[in-house]
Amino acid sequence: MFDVPGRIYVVATLLPLAAFVVLLIAGATRSFYRPFRKQGGFAGSMYWICGGDKPLKTGAYLATGCMAVAAALGVYGLVSFLADPSEGSIRASRWAERIDWVRIGPLDTSSPPEWERQRAADTTRATPRLALALELGYKIDHLTAVVFAMVTVISTLIFIFSIGYMKDEAHETYEDHLVHERVGKVGEHHGDGHDSHSAAAHHGYHRRGRFGRFFLYLSLFCFSMLNLVIADNLFQVFVSWELVGVCSFFLIGFYYERPSASAAANKAFIVNRIGDAGFLIGIVLAWSYCGTLNIEELTRRVRSPDRDSHNTYELANQVIRVNATPVVGDAIPEYELPPIEEAGTGTHVLLFPLAWPDPTHFHGPGYGKHKDKSFEVPAKRDYLSYGVMPYALFVLMGIGIFLGCMGKSAQVPLQTWLPDAMEGPTPVSALIHAATMVAAGVYLVGRCYPLFAPEVLLFIAYIGAITLFISATIALVQTDIKRILAYSTCSQLGFMMLALGVGGWIAGLLHLITHAFFKALLFLCSGSVIHGCHHEQDIRKMGGLWRKMPVTAFTMLVGVLAISGAPFLSGWYSKEQILSAAMGYGLEHKRHILLLVLPFLTAGLTAYYMFRLWFLTFVGKTRDTHLAEKVHESPWVMTGPLVLLAVFSVGVAWGWPFWDAEASYLGHVLKESQPAFVAVQFAAEHHEAEHRHLTAGALALLLAVSGAWLAWWFFGWRQPAESEMYRPGGPGYRFLYGKWYFDELYDTTIVNPTVMLATVAAAADKAPTDKTAPPYVTLPTLDGILNAMAELFVVVGRSLRAVQTGRIRTYALTLALTAVAVLGILTALAK
Amino acid sequence: MTLPIVLFAIVATITAISALGVVLARNVVRMAVWLLFTLVGVSLLYFLLGAEFAGTVQLIVYVGGTLILIVFGVMLTAQGPLRELRTRPAEWLVGGIVGALLFGLLVTASYQIALPPPSTDNTLPGPGPLGLTFLGVTETSPTANVSGLPDDVVVPRKPVAYLLPFEIVSVHLLVVLIGAAYLARAKRRVKA
Amino acid sequence: MNELGIQPFFILSAFLFVCGVVCIASKRNAIGVLMGVELVLNAANINLVAFARFNPAFRLDGQVFALMVIVLAAAEAAVALAIILNFYNNHATVDVDSADELKG
Repeated sequence: MFDVPGRIYVVATLLPLAAFVVLLIAGATRSFYRPFRKQGGFAGSMYWICGGDKPLKTGAYLATGCMAVAAALGVYGLVSFLADPSEGSIRASRWAERIDWVRIGPLDTSSPPEWERQRAADTTRATPRLALALELGYKIDHLTAVVFAMVTVISTLIFIFSIGYMKDEAHETYEDHLVHERVGKVGEHHGDGHDSHSAAAHHGYHRRGRFGRFFLYLSLFCFSMLNLVIADNLFQVFVSWELVGVCSFFLIGFYYERPSASAAANKAFIVNRIGDAGFLIGIVLAWSYCGTLNIEELTRRVRSPDRDSHNTYELANQVIRVNATPVVGDAIPEYELPPIEEAGTGTHVLLFPLAWPDPTHFHGPGYGKHKDKSFEVPAKRDYLSYGVMPYALFVLMGIGIFLGCMGKSAQVPLQTWLPDAMEGPTPVSALIHAATMVAAGVYLVGRCYPLFAPEVLLFIAYIGAITLFISATIALVQTDIKRILAYSTCSQLGFMMLALGVGGWIAGLLHLITHAFFKALLFLCSGSVIHGCHHEQDIRKMGGLWRKMPVTAFTMLVGVLAISGAPFLSGWYSKEQILSAAMGYGLEHKRHILLLVLPFLTAGLTAYYMFRLWFLTFVGKTRDTHLAEKVHESPWVMTGPLVLLAVFSVGVAWGWPFWDAEASYLGHVLKESQPAFVAVQFAAEHHEAEHRHLTAGALALLLAVSGAWLAWWFFGWRQPAESEMYRPGGPGYRFLYGKWYFDELYDTTIVNPTVMLATVAAAADKAPTDKTAPPYVTLPTLDGILNAMAELFVVVGRSLRAVQTGRIRTYALTLALTAVAVLGILTALAK
Repeated sequence: MTLPIVLFAIVATITAISALGVVLARNVVRMAVWLLFTLVGVSLLYFLLGAEFAGTVQLIVYVGGTLILIVFGVMLTAQGPLRELRTRPAEWLVGGIVGALLFGLLVTASYQIALPPPSTDNTLPGPGPLGLTFLGVTETSPTANVSGLPDDVVVPRKPVAYLLPFEIVSVHLLVVLIGAAYLARAKRRVKA
Repeated sequence: MNELGIQPFFILSAFLFVCGVVCIASKRNAIGVLMGVELVLNAANINLVAFARFNPAFRLDGQVFALMVIVLAAAEAAVALAIILNFYNNHATVDVDSADELKG
């Protein structure tokens, strides 16, 4: 089996799915046999084996075990991938496989079926379909291997942490203090040996613990995420994408009895759906024009080859734009390169053959000697001929794919769901909304990088810059410990997007990895704090906690330092690279100076709000003495992962020499899978960045230190009075505290009009329930019209009822009359 | 005034008057008696028309069977008040008007019918041919004009046999016999 | 007979028919209604036999139909009487106006 070492990854991906399936079957079995629980015998014992009244911890151990094995495989896979000496196509065959999932056409393309031939003959169609199969496949490159290892390791740690954090759920009954209003009304009928309606009215909502269910969702989530990471085609990515989305929905709405949680789950799902619509558009465009969804094949379709058969090629890995030449008669349409002085313009993108008819002798398009300048695009296209795609649609394809990434990675303007998603349990926030799921967007941008036109990359950069700034400003004033982290996540994702947009491919993805570690650390620390403070999340009530929970405090300090970009911690390497890439781009393109200013500003803001969080939580006097009495350090099962993550946060990006940010070993690994064209397309920017990178580092450090110092001055040294903290503040403060009023904006512009439209539609549909309303009011509604018709028939029927006398003689007389009438008519006609 | 006309006039008068008697009689027993005369008159008409077999069957089945059945019915159900159930005058009036209208129309229609040329053969087939017909043995009938078609259009007739209708009627009678016995058996008495 | 023509038979038949219809429509006694039905059937029979006599195309058919009608009338009378007796058993009356259970 392991003659193809890539299959390690398949096994590692399927392990969480196996855990999910086992847990699912066990849960279903338990529910099925529940009616027999009082009886003995097989049925009764099945109930007790599969959980019984009290949630079993076995399922959690199983899921965690599977995840740990997956992590071990992930790390082993990473090591063996890096150590694999093979090259070229042998390496590709060792680390990538693909099979058909749904085959639409025949395998043998040389003899297409009749409908395919007719379709090909129809020149009015845009592009005949080339792709005839939806595939399943995996492809491991350096990026995949690293991200896979990151996801599995962090997931394992979070699973372990969850065993401690969610232990309340392992009890027979769980009391939810945040659900009061529903008690006695809609109370969910778990009925596991207790009555949820009695004695619970003033104490919160009682229900069965959901320990197993939590791990069930987590396992499914991990499977989806891992599948997304190893997928080699956009369709498989999309499927996993949706699975990740639905798991996120389940987990955000884990406490679905709380109205806020179910609303947040809905919001996350719906906002993500907007992005996914864009993603789908992108996929469909790719499918219909490029004829394949395999990412590597797509790249080879839209980008020119690495080299021609003479090993020299000046236009390697470029998106080649061409113009259509006028077609005379029935001739095959031709496209040609624009004149050399207008190179880079053109109405269409040239799509390259996936295979050259003669692999030893071909030359791609170009302006030199022996180069093709015009291209025949036959109506029936195959893997051996050129194709074209309108440039506008090419841009749209890129933007569509990026729209999906925007939704998942919570970029402005689709960022509103992420802070609300903090309604879920804290490990979920750590796993999904910091370390992995939101990273999927960035990962996909990195994956599909060759498919993005320069315009799309600029768009990505601006979205990232705007997001990072807006989110950071909002995070400045929040008081909920998890919300600050949520906005910081948005902001950091913005950094990644910005880096990708300005050509810092390595920088962005390096930040993805390092951020995953320290953000998971920060979230788990906040989870530990929340656990210790008995579900108190308001940092204004905390303070001085470091004496009570030292491990949490110091590991969190590591996370804060890492995210702020303190030198030699992992965050420093990635952030330094991002900022120098931004600086290089900003200085090279003076029009886009905003892309330089915003990230630097935000680097300072980041340090400020993170240290504010830390100081308010752990330093100073205890503000809420009532709370402080109960605070305790978390058990080892929770602090252990914290320490491990702290270690990762410090050292994951180290290289030699470690004082050089460019020397990060992880960065070098990622560089192996950087698309070849990046170095060409962004050569000037990279040069500039190289040139300025010390300046950028120093500036970033200066800003971060000043931000941290300000935070220390306000919250560590000056120790604001308690009343001061609850003061409403000025309009600017309120604007930031209200999150730039994005939610309100959406409510006014989209949600409320939609609700109003729905209300109007409903009013037009339904008759008012008020029976006293005069009939002419109800008549114009659909219901009213139908009711009026029904009423009419009732009235007619009631009046006709009198005719049905039930007396034979009347009927006979009527019959006679009918005969008279018929005869009379016939007689009259006969004349 | 030939004999047939005179005979027809007499028989028709008897039949019509007794039919009127059926309608006008209040007592159900009297109605039955009037009906007897009507049926006999109709059978006489059949004899007049030369359909001796049909007339005989009319006498035997109708007068001797159906009417007896009806009289039995009268006997079984005739209690004092039921023998004379009054009909309201208004109903008489409506019935009379409808009847008069119907009669007028039928008479009008009967004068509008395009009649075929009268048959030269005065005799009708007797029981022999009829029986053979019922058994399915027929000779081809002569070609005939069908009313409503122009005279020169000759419709060739196919030999007609009535074996199947005969069978159907037989089965029908059997079914009716069983059904009548089933329906008429006393299941329960009236409660009141 | 030919000089008489078929019309007088039609008129007599029409008269019997109308008598039957009026009988059905106005008699309250169920047996009276049954007698009206017999009158109607007889009216039809007169027509059939008259056609058999006056139209050579129907020499056989007219009589055959008449015979069938006679037989069916007998059957019908038997069933009708059975129904009437049943009705009488259940309602202690033969007044058709009291049989209005199917009133709408």
